[in-house]
Amino acid sequence: MTDAKKQQDKKLSEAEAIERAKQGDAAAFEALYNLHKRRVYSLCLRMTANTAAAEDLTQEAFLQLFRKIGTFRGESAFSTWLHRMAVNVVLMQLRKKGLPIVPLEENIETEEESPRKEPGADDPRLAGSIDRMQLQRSIAALPPGYRMIFLLHDVEGYEHNEIAEIVGCSIGNSKSQLHKARMKLREILKTSRAEKATKP
Amino acid sequence: MTCEEFERVLPELGSGHSMEQEEHLKTCSTCSDLVADLNAISRQSRLLQGSEEPSPWVWNSIEVALRQEGLIREPQQGQGQSFIHPPRLSWKLRWLVPAAAALLVAFGVLMHQRGTGRAQLADQQSRPVGVVTADLQHSNPADVMGGDDLQLLETVASRTPSMRAAYEANLRAVNAYIRDAEQSANSDPNDEVAQQYLRNAYEQKAMVYEMALDRSLP
Repeated sequence: MTDAKKQQDKKLSEAEAIERAKQGDAAAFEALYNLHKRRVYSLCLRMTANTAAAEDLTQEAFLQLFRKIGTFRGESAFSTWLHRMAVNVVLMQLRKKGLPIVPLEENIETEEESPRKEPGADDPRLAGSIDRMQLQRSIAALPPGYRMIFLLHDVEGYEHNEIAEIVGCSIGNSKSQLHKARMKLREILKTSRAEKATKP
Repeated sequence: MTCEEFERVLPELGSGHSMEQEEHLKTCSTCSDLVADLNAISRQSRLLQGSEEPSPWVWNSIEVALRQEGLIREPQQGQGQSFIHPPRLSWKLRWLVPAAAALLVAFGVLMHQRGTGRAQLADQQSRPVGVVTADLQHSNPADVMGGDDLQLLETVASRTPSMRAAYEANLRAVNAYIRDAEQSANSDPNDEVAQQYLRNAYEQKAMVYEMALDRSLP
């Protein structure tokens, strides 16, 4: 079976599951959950860095989705709709906890924007030396606002127009935040590598 | 093009670059290193997609909430079973039996600890046993308990004789659940959901053991 056909089947089964879920079919709810649980949970986990909190948020996001599934008309992709809810649930939680969130529409001039202030600029390239754990830790160290855009674009693979819809910001702002997030990550990774190298 | 000009347009760049930008990258190691690093970060990050899995309790909690809120409706007579994973649905529901029974046992223990009286306790205990044994009467006769289970029941009986029947019923139910989950997982070893339910079943049994042993401690 070709990838296109598989994709088509997946879409069909998702569309059918949505219709069945609207009728109260338990297995349809479960099928939708199984289709999207990993991505939603991973997003929540990386935003909170806490498994219990991530599970609570995943549960809340899916419950909100299922409560409103009767209103889903398919104007946007189901996954986009779900991610928008997950993002809202996560942001709400972060606000409740008083964690700082970089304002999405605010253009903050940060030091990483300055080309002459890059720590480790003389180091060799990062390419080929980024391991998974190091990357996960560095992502966790990003400010939540940057982290959210970065996760949606570089991890989840959403386009800027979709992110703008999910998060509720402009496309330009999404691009700008993503660039800042990548630059910040580069800085964190290089610093981390430099610290590792100086350890006896 | 200068480095400053290049970095100014960098956030807007996708995977491709203009001729002018390409020329700059060829001659500027700082900017070409920067682009290489950002691309490497992006590539590695994509590998993290959906790499984490929530515990099975998340779906269980969602399902319970959906049922409580009336969003899940039981199919009416005459309508077929659900279209998705039809073979799983029947045995999947068995998951709820030991879970509910274990909760009721826990409730029974709590009531007992609070000294609500034997009559009331017997009433609480008789309900889960009744529910579970009703299910067991329809279950496979080959549903037997192993040596460890019998030893556990003896331990429970020696400490709290009144709880033995409830634990026996729970063990039988969870054993039946494990057997069904094993059959389903064996029939399709690549079925991740079946494997997950099998793990749930073992976790459920571990929970019954944990509760029984905790209760039986001096």
